[in-house]
Amino acid sequence: MSQKSLVDEMHQVQLAIELIELGARLQVLETETELSRTRLIKLYKEVRGMSPPKGMLPFSTDWFITWLPNVHSSLFYNIYLSLKEAAGCDRIDAFVKAYRLYGEQMSLEKVEPVLGLTRAWTLIRFFESDLLQLNQCTRCKGQFVAHAHSPAQSYVCGICQPPSRAGKTRKSQQENSEKM
Amino acid sequence: MSQTNFLDEIQEINLAYLLLAQRLLDEDREAAMFRLKIDSDVAELIVTLNARQLTKLARTSQLLCRFSQTSAERLRQLTDNPRDQGLAGLHASLLLASDTFEPMPSGGDK
Repeated sequence: MSQKSLVDEMHQVQLAIELIELGARLQVLETETELSRTRLIKLYKEVRGMSPPKGMLPFSTDWFITWLPNVHSSLFYNIYLSLKEAAGCDRIDAFVKAYRLYGEQMSLEKVEPVLGLTRAWTLIRFFESDLLQLNQCTRCKGQFVAHAHSPAQSYVCGICQPPSRAGKTRKSQQENSEKM
Repeated sequence: MSQTNFLDEIQEINLAYLLLAQRLLDEDREAAMFRLKIDSDVAELIVTLNARQLTKLARTSQLLCRFSQTSAERLRQLTDNPRDQGLAGLHASLLLASDTFEPMPSGGDK
């Protein structure tokens, strides 16, 4: 800790603040920065005005495969990959930028982001540990998040072929009747 | 004549496109490369162009920015999806997001 340069530490704090503002949980900050837990908690309180939520992070890959979350996760992951591979961003930079670009699209669509920042981070970690893969939709040729080792040959995405009950939640029905 | 109007419009769009590209690149280089689908060499060049160079580039009867939905099949899937659930906007950005940057990245230098 004493060896670390001030500039480096400042960058770490900046990154932590940015992540907190975007909605990161403490676990994300602990993994992605070298700041101590005590400092991170203090920082969190200063930025958000409240203590960080306790409890474990979601640990199942299944959520990313369910219909609407899959569309959102796939969009985010495509942006992330582009920034990282084609634009040459480093990992965490690509992550923050991709999340902002994803959020931008959500405000254009006037919908709430289904994928929270911590979920988005979990998504990337799942890809990094080979729990998820991208399958190409045979109709639209888009890349979609799928379980690792799931068959890709005749894969059709949830937009080209939504499941029969897709979008028919009670909430969306209410919203639709409000629009009428 | 409508012919000359089209020509004017094309040049206006070209110039507007280049100016927007410069502003985007100044604001956030990598995000702009993603939005414009251009690689870092092209990005580097565009930001250095001065007004005279930009106008020169824009003065052509062809558009500088290309249509990005490259196949009719893909376009049809976006516009006439019989089972659309109001996700067309997300679908379009998802497909665009995975498009490669021009010119094709040489790969290997990740």
